[in-house]
Amino acid sequence: MCLFGMLLLTGDEVGGQTFDYHQIRGRLPSQSDIEVHEGESDLTKSGTSRFQSLAPFGPHWSQGAHLLWDGAVGDIFTTDFFVEEAGIYDVKIQFTVAPDYGRFSLDLEDVPISKVVGADSTTQSNDFQVTVDLYGNDVALAPPVWLKSVQLKRGTQTLRMRLTGANPKASMFKSRGYLLGLDYLSLNRLDRPEALPEKSGPKNSETVSENPTKSLTVAEISSQLGQYCFDCHDGSSNESDLDLTAWRHDTDFSQKMEEAQAIRKALKQNEMPPEDADPIPTEVRSRLIRSLDSLIQDHLRESLRVAPVIMRRMNRLEYNNAVRDLLELRGDIYPLPEKTLRPGQPYFNPSSGRFPRSIVVGNRTLGKNQVERQILTGVSPFALDLQAEGGFNNRGEDLSVSPILLESFISLGRAIISAPEFDSYCEIQAELFEAPEGLTLAQEVELASGRLSALMERAFRAPVQETTLRRYVNYFETRCRETGKFTDAMKDVVAAILASPRFLFVRAEETAEGSDVPSSAYPLANRLAFFLWSSIPDRELLELARTGELRQPEVLRQQTERMLSDPKCQALSQNFARQWLRLDQLITAVPDFERFPEYYSRIGCEQWKLGLQSMMEPLLLFESILVEDRSIMLLVDSNYTYRSDELHSWYTDEVPFNRRENRNRFNTGMQSFRRRQLSDRRQGGVLTSTAAMTMTSAPLRTSPIVRGAWVATVFLNQPPPPPPDDIPSIELDDREIEAQGMTLRQRLEQHQINVACASCHSKIDPLGFALENYDAVGRWRDEYSSGLKIDSQGKLLGQYPFSDAVELKDQLLRHPEIFMQAFSEHLISYALGRELEISDQMWVEEIVEQVEADHGQFSSVVHAIVQSPLFLHSPPTKTSEK
Amino acid sequence: MKKLQLHRRSMIRGLGASLALPWLEAMSNGAQGGSQCDASNLSPKRAAFFYIPNGVVQSAWNPVDTGADFTLSPTLEPLAEVREHIAVLTNLDRIKVAGTDGHAQASTCWLSSAAPDQLSPAGYPLKRTIDQLMADHTGQFTAFRSLELSCNPFEDNKESIYFDNISWFGHGHVARSIREPQRVFQRLFKMDQHVQSASVLDLILDDASDLRRELGKNDRRKLDEYTESVRTVELQIQRVQDRQKELKLINPKRPIGTWQAMRRDEFIQIMGDLMILALQTDLTRVASLMTAPERWSTPVKVEEWFEAPTEHHSWTHGQGNNHVRQELAKLDRFHVTQFAALVQKMAKIEEAEGTLLDNTMFLLGSGLSSGELHVCNNLPTVIAGRGGGQFLTGHHTRFPEGTPIANLWLTMAKVMGLSSERIGDSTGTLERILA
Repeated sequence: MCLFGMLLLTGDEVGGQTFDYHQIRGRLPSQSDIEVHEGESDLTKSGTSRFQSLAPFGPHWSQGAHLLWDGAVGDIFTTDFFVEEAGIYDVKIQFTVAPDYGRFSLDLEDVPISKVVGADSTTQSNDFQVTVDLYGNDVALAPPVWLKSVQLKRGTQTLRMRLTGANPKASMFKSRGYLLGLDYLSLNRLDRPEALPEKSGPKNSETVSENPTKSLTVAEISSQLGQYCFDCHDGSSNESDLDLTAWRHDTDFSQKMEEAQAIRKALKQNEMPPEDADPIPTEVRSRLIRSLDSLIQDHLRESLRVAPVIMRRMNRLEYNNAVRDLLELRGDIYPLPEKTLRPGQPYFNPSSGRFPRSIVVGNRTLGKNQVERQILTGVSPFALDLQAEGGFNNRGEDLSVSPILLESFISLGRAIISAPEFDSYCEIQAELFEAPEGLTLAQEVELASGRLSALMERAFRAPVQETTLRRYVNYFETRCRETGKFTDAMKDVVAAILASPRFLFVRAEETAEGSDVPSSAYPLANRLAFFLWSSIPDRELLELARTGELRQPEVLRQQTERMLSDPKCQALSQNFARQWLRLDQLITAVPDFERFPEYYSRIGCEQWKLGLQSMMEPLLLFESILVEDRSIMLLVDSNYTYRSDELHSWYTDEVPFNRRENRNRFNTGMQSFRRRQLSDRRQGGVLTSTAAMTMTSAPLRTSPIVRGAWVATVFLNQPPPPPPDDIPSIELDDREIEAQGMTLRQRLEQHQINVACASCHSKIDPLGFALENYDAVGRWRDEYSSGLKIDSQGKLLGQYPFSDAVELKDQLLRHPEIFMQAFSEHLISYALGRELEISDQMWVEEIVEQVEADHGQFSSVVHAIVQSPLFLHSPPTKTSEK
Repeated sequence: MKKLQLHRRSMIRGLGASLALPWLEAMSNGAQGGSQCDASNLSPKRAAFFYIPNGVVQSAWNPVDTGADFTLSPTLEPLAEVREHIAVLTNLDRIKVAGTDGHAQASTCWLSSAAPDQLSPAGYPLKRTIDQLMADHTGQFTAFRSLELSCNPFEDNKESIYFDNISWFGHGHVARSIREPQRVFQRLFKMDQHVQSASVLDLILDDASDLRRELGKNDRRKLDEYTESVRTVELQIQRVQDRQKELKLINPKRPIGTWQAMRRDEFIQIMGDLMILALQTDLTRVASLMTAPERWSTPVKVEEWFEAPTEHHSWTHGQGNNHVRQELAKLDRFHVTQFAALVQKMAKIEEAEGTLLDNTMFLLGSGLSSGELHVCNNLPTVIAGRGGGQFLTGHHTRFPEGTPIANLWLTMAKVMGLSSERIGDSTGTLERILA
């Protein structure tokens, strides 16, 4: 539900200059980390160049393959690579040598090379050129060629290799020329900036203090409102439900919070007074807003009231992660389609500061043969919890424990510890489940008690009371007596712990309602771990919770930073991003099989859809932003993206997949997704991705209303209200509409003559029509198939005009506060596990201010949320005095 | 704990030939722990609910004439063979509450015992649903208090829980349905594993009651849901244990394959068979089956009936078009055909007194009358079976305009032996359909 409108929008920005959000990068690769461009996958191919596997020649080549080229003497082979930051680099080029490889002169187009280090055969002919001889007795790695201290600009660089001849010993390739093999090219930056760019400290929002005028009292506000508002808001007028009559007599502000928030919002967004009423002079308006602000803040501070968060049950992804981390298992306990990206090899490592350029990855959700059938024998997940409307599946209100689920929890615990693979899967198996031979029962109980005390603190993420410990130890003792085996009894207790409400519920607050500030930081540690890791806190976090140090802002900040550097924060992509983008809708998107045959892998096979590959693009973009700590604005528009060759061909080729007809058009298995630089602004970001465009379409046409509603929900956090009951019907196939000489837009507009409909649709539809150039499977089209023109112009929020999708992106970049607020609100709601409420507005605005100041840097959003009273569940510290 | 005796055998035509089992007659041999007496009930009464989402094409659904000689409408035609066992009820209404989604409200509030003005925090008039109120009563006699099944064919996470559930313990506490036939089977007939786990229940129950003292009011409500479930499972385990011997005798075969591999009609029939089996064996007396969730707007294949995937929700909004309306009516007919097949199966199962169908109230309905305008007046309603001889069948009865459907719930509740005087916005019972 939409609670807050936009921050005050100040009309056209001065100059209309947009900031380049690609500059923002909080995490840089460490010095030793060198940017590698694989020949076979990262460098662009041209002419005869092609992929060659070198597996038969040994394990020496990076990624086991190189880029192979052949030509006649005099031919030139060129390849491009992208330099992300201007600077001075050592460029290393790793070639392959072989009996039929030639001699080449190399140059980096127009870039002077001052110093070359290489093998004997390498010489530098002049300032720009180097020669190499790639002849070798056997197929082997060539001695690397180093171009030292080269000054490179940001952008595409071209490496040119001219075949000049060959070593006398070399044999010709196919009797017409010679070959070249390029394993990789790496860049090592020498002039790396020292540290992260200086972050602007928490912004003190109180520039207000400079204001000469004092805040108004409640009575003064009331009298001002009386002048402009009471005519209509008097409780009897038909004009409004909002009754402000109480403001006339009563000065008890605590009873008026909700109204005060509503008034403040209406004033701030210029919603009130309506156009036909007397306007409020600007100074009066801003003074009213300021006064309400300070009254509301004072009140919130006094009442320490942030909306309560209901204790919630873990969802199945969290349960998996929690069990995995508690028992230190080597991996997941059951297959989870929620984890869409199935890595061929581990790739997600935020501490490296670089998201790899090339990732081998499969789609678990749609690649039906890629869901691990069984991880632990006999352990299967419980049902997926559904997302709240416009929200996430981590809200206490929606997460209950039914008898069926309880059965699942009880049998899951048992199944996990009795799986045949368990012992070798559990890293702490010996420490936890094994006991020395020959202990008496009493000794065994004592041993178990010590272990359980530590385990239960981690499992329950709270101090373990003596009675609780005793209860589980007694259970151990009973089981030990019955089975006679320490290990079995210990496993029984662990299974019981996994079914305990203390394990299964995430408690937001430690103390009962009505009591004071939480005494320890355990709940905070819990919230933090479930927010960033979708899991339980680790030992370090629990230690800081025990001592309470976690509550210190600096410690909290360090911990947040540490957690964002841990691969476990991939949960933000698996759990948050997937739900935020509502990517699940792609699973069931069914473009018409006849109309869009190329969406399906082959004729007659409806099982494999392009969604297999397109679903991963937005997630990989999100992960790259997370790992490299870039700006969230890249989700609106980015100059790079991650695609497989096939997905890239879908976007860029007239006839994708090389006209493959009756065999697999695209690969349904693991694919290599590579970072690709984009120059076409119709692509880039999530907004215009094929995944988004496909899942917001009907089988036979686009669905601008659904698209618009998706954009409004995801990018503006202004989901439209439920549609009215009398929805007029529209043809399901755009060809039927166009046959009447009308575009879809004209047809829809014809239907919205009704004023009641128009008021909502005027907000949603332009966002959908802006994307009309993308067809029902996300491919760009200049006009409809009938030849009718596409009309994609409109206004963002009724204010900022655009004529097409690219200009819509431009407007969003020009007014970044719109998306920053929306994204922050989504993430806050996810972090808190509840819907945002009107009383949260002040804190949300503080968070958004911080995000804006840091240009939407990902970690900045996270820090701002974590440090907010909303997340801390505690009174704001004194940051601002009037 | 009561023992049930095996009287005689019969066969059920369920799950094709794969699941043939001896028939169990569930009967009690004594009073129930001093509380309610179920002894007179040789063939207990059962209630089952069969839900179709998104309303129906009204013009093709409503029979034109009323009374015993009524003519089946085109959509209800598949019920011809069981005509004598059914009653078509028209003009039953639910009052729609503005401000929440029409579809979510349709599924969530259809069986709700809340009056339209009793809104839950989610904005719906949602309180313990009528099937669960019945289960509060019948659950004392059976191993499972109720059974919730779903043939939801969607694998995505597109709509909220309110679209996907008709059975609720209370607001925020959904009676989750199962949609994997194998899991339903496992739960009903392979409870051994749970019996093993019984010892854990005491432990976690004690732990929960300690924890409760540390919690605030809202959190307690959530914990109470957990505790209630532990107690339910505890009882379930005891009772299944008591019936182990008999259940071993039945030894039904496990359904083969996953629902994803099943045809649409197969999926619904196998779920229906499992439901019938549970009712027949008296493992439960209350069941609900949701053929599909509300809205979801995703095409679904209905093999043999339709060449292209069906688009139930989109079609409801396109029914102004003649062709679309015909397709939609055909889809309605598909659902009625599935219901009719289950009714026929129930009619063939003999019990001590009459057939299973005679002793059951098997209700077909939707929470919307028409999906086109999200209307809740004149909800499609067909009741099959006589509820132990208490209902009249073989007629179409049109009630006065504005008759709340809650009156039907109240009538059914009374037949089940509940003492309620009012359910939701009910104004009385439907005397005209009682024998």
